[in-house]
Amino acid sequence: MSEFAISIENVSHAYARPDEGAVATLDNVSLGVRKGELLCLIGPSGCGKSTLLNIVGGLVRPASGTIKINGRPIIGPSPKDIAFVFQENTLFPWNTVRDNIKVGLEFQGVPPAERKNRAEEAIEAVGLSEFAQNYPHQLSGGMKQRASLARALSLRTDILLMDEPFASLDEQTRTYLGEELSILLATTNKTIVLVTHSLSEAVFLADRVVVMTARPASIKATIEVPESHPREPGFMASPRFAELRNELYAQLRAEIEKTVGGFVGKAAARDRERRGTSGTRSDSE
Amino acid sequence: MTEIPAANDASSASSTMLRAEAGRLFRRHPGLARIAVIIVATLAWEVAGDTILDPDFLSPPSSIIHAMPRVFSDAGVQKALWASFYELVTAFVIVVIAGIAIGLPIGLHGFTFRSSMPLVLLLYSIPQVTILPLFVLYFGIGAGSKIAFGVSHGIFPIILNIVAGVQSVEQAHLIAARSMGATRFQSIRRVVLPHVTPSLFAGLRLAMSGTLLGVLLAELYVSTGGIGYYSRLFADSFDPPATFSLVAVLAFMAIVLNETVRIAERRASFWRTHRT
Amino acid sequence: MNGIRGDWQARAIQVLFVAAILLLWYYVSTSGLVGVIFLPPLPRVIDKFLQIIQTGSLYYNLAVTAYELAMAFSIASILGLSIGYFVGRSRIAVVIFEPLLAGLFAVPIIVFLPLFILFFGIDMQSKIAFGATYAFFPIVLNAIGGISQIDPRLIIVARSMGANEGQLFRRVLLPAALPVIATGLRIGCIIGFLSILGSEMIAGLRGLGSRIVTLAEGMNTVEMFAYIIFVILMAALLNVTLTRMQARFSAPREQP
Repeated sequence: MSEFAISIENVSHAYARPDEGAVATLDNVSLGVRKGELLCLIGPSGCGKSTLLNIVGGLVRPASGTIKINGRPIIGPSPKDIAFVFQENTLFPWNTVRDNIKVGLEFQGVPPAERKNRAEEAIEAVGLSEFAQNYPHQLSGGMKQRASLARALSLRTDILLMDEPFASLDEQTRTYLGEELSILLATTNKTIVLVTHSLSEAVFLADRVVVMTARPASIKATIEVPESHPREPGFMASPRFAELRNELYAQLRAEIEKTVGGFVGKAAARDRERRGTSGTRSDSE
Repeated sequence: MTEIPAANDASSASSTMLRAEAGRLFRRHPGLARIAVIIVATLAWEVAGDTILDPDFLSPPSSIIHAMPRVFSDAGVQKALWASFYELVTAFVIVVIAGIAIGLPIGLHGFTFRSSMPLVLLLYSIPQVTILPLFVLYFGIGAGSKIAFGVSHGIFPIILNIVAGVQSVEQAHLIAARSMGATRFQSIRRVVLPHVTPSLFAGLRLAMSGTLLGVLLAELYVSTGGIGYYSRLFADSFDPPATFSLVAVLAFMAIVLNETVRIAERRASFWRTHRT
Repeated sequence: MNGIRGDWQARAIQVLFVAAILLLWYYVSTSGLVGVIFLPPLPRVIDKFLQIIQTGSLYYNLAVTAYELAMAFSIASILGLSIGYFVGRSRIAVVIFEPLLAGLFAVPIIVFLPLFILFFGIDMQSKIAFGATYAFFPIVLNAIGGISQIDPRLIIVARSMGANEGQLFRRVLLPAALPVIATGLRIGCIIGFLSILGSEMIAGLRGLGSRIVTLAEGMNTVEMFAYIIFVILMAALLNVTLTRMQARFSAPREQP
């Protein structure tokens, strides 16, 4: 029996693009996620973090390598073990919050009699009882993501995969929901993999932050955040938080520059070059 | 929309104020403004019909209303209207059933889409009025040809709307459903069908006006009986008020049917925030 | 649905389908199973088709219908675009008139055809007026839509850079609204063509629609089929031409 809830073993992935041919997104990634930990995946945009999460969830097939959940290799979605919270709002707009959760339970195969109670429980856990009868378009962005979280929690899986769940929210809401999530984590004993763009979010929530390189992604570094859950807002103001955040950014910076194409460095280089060419021209004249 | 600064004398100032007041009222309640436009147009028509225009030509609304009892107490006219209504309803029922039965399979499977959609588009591109004589040739001059022509006009909007609706299903919703363990049947029932419903109703609305158009075209073409006969009779006997009142009732029927389907459409797409 | 147009597979399926229909027609009509009146033999229809495209009467009727369409489309465009522009520029006018016009368009205008014939006579004028009325609605509705749905930020940005009313029209409103307006013009032209054909068939003296009806009433199905095929080909040609022309106006849009 392995100590890992999720083992990612030598996973590579590429997708076909009409104009570029095969684009490698993941290059031989191996990673173990311990039971009950919150692991953050962070990396430059488009590096393949989300793809890795989808592979773990069985939604995307890797080109090579295996995923094991509690030691068993998986092929395809495993809704009994894994629940997702997606970046986009994937609540069904034609169902109320409560019905959205009930439909999820129906998909998972929960008997009809149990669905209502489990839906209520999950709605209460995220504090949306007042809005159970509302339709998604009547909710704010933050409430929608809480409803998505409720839907994932209601499935009662050991593993929760979250793909930039707060990315579309403003920073205040995001920080607040982060705190809530931290409290929730302290009470449940779930294994969570969270993909994020936000350095602060990663440091605040994670037990371990995994930094990924630019495409094709591999693991660049792992940073431990030894702080118990639930974490207080004060943690964000502590020097240790700033230190970890800076360390994370230092690891990420080079990778980001590879994707964005480093504007400051390039401008300096161009400047040097221009001076050089004008020099030669004046020489020749 | 810019408000003209009030002139010096009091009457023009008050009229400007009145205009500004009316502008504000209409801006807040555009429905009122629309009704006002209709009332003004009708009044203008009435006044013009009594004064400038020859009343035998563009009959004023009052004379049309006056002619209505005479026209609609005619047993033949009543029978013709009922016949048209029967044709319309029959054609529409066929359109809805056949349209869904054809549209859903085409939208749901890649193979049926690739193989059938070109044919649907090809048939849809035929200018159907030109083959109206064929409908009469094959289905006779009775209700059959009118129903068939109504069906051929109404069925394409339903098929095209359903197909477009199925194809615009959010991939994210399907992926989320799959991640929660939905079977293909569950995905169709819980994701595809609810998503398609608004498009279906939009298709129903277009199909309703298409069917009505087809039935009326055939009715007017085969003018040996029914509405076509009477509209031609009234026109030929220079009885504009009678023609107008027949047209008015048909137009009213069309508006009522259209609004009914439109309200149903709005109900069905309540969850689409950008459409309200 | 656009993807299907350029797809050679789709084209091949369409060609095969037409070929199959023609084959079926050929066998059924030459087998003697159905009367000549109901389905004339394909070879005779083809012969007739080749014959009529060499006669003047076809081109005379084509010219009549084409003239009616040209007049109707010009009237509808001038009225539709100018009304559309002025309504589209004022938000309150859009709110008031757009639903009214859309509501009127939902009424089957075909019911008014007897009135058109009453007012304008049975000859070309009633066809022009009827065709113009039908063509007017898509043109005006798309013009209103195109002008009023321009991203207001574009207008604000242009004004902030000092654009005057003329520059605003030429540099912002027109390019932004043109694709939508072009769609309206294309649909208006097609609808105008169909309604002119329809009104010719219901009551007319000349033009392609009247000709088909005369042949149908004379039970001259061979020539009627030949004419129908000709009109279908004309409609297809019109459609292709208009779609090509419209494509020139549709500026490359940002892919979502």
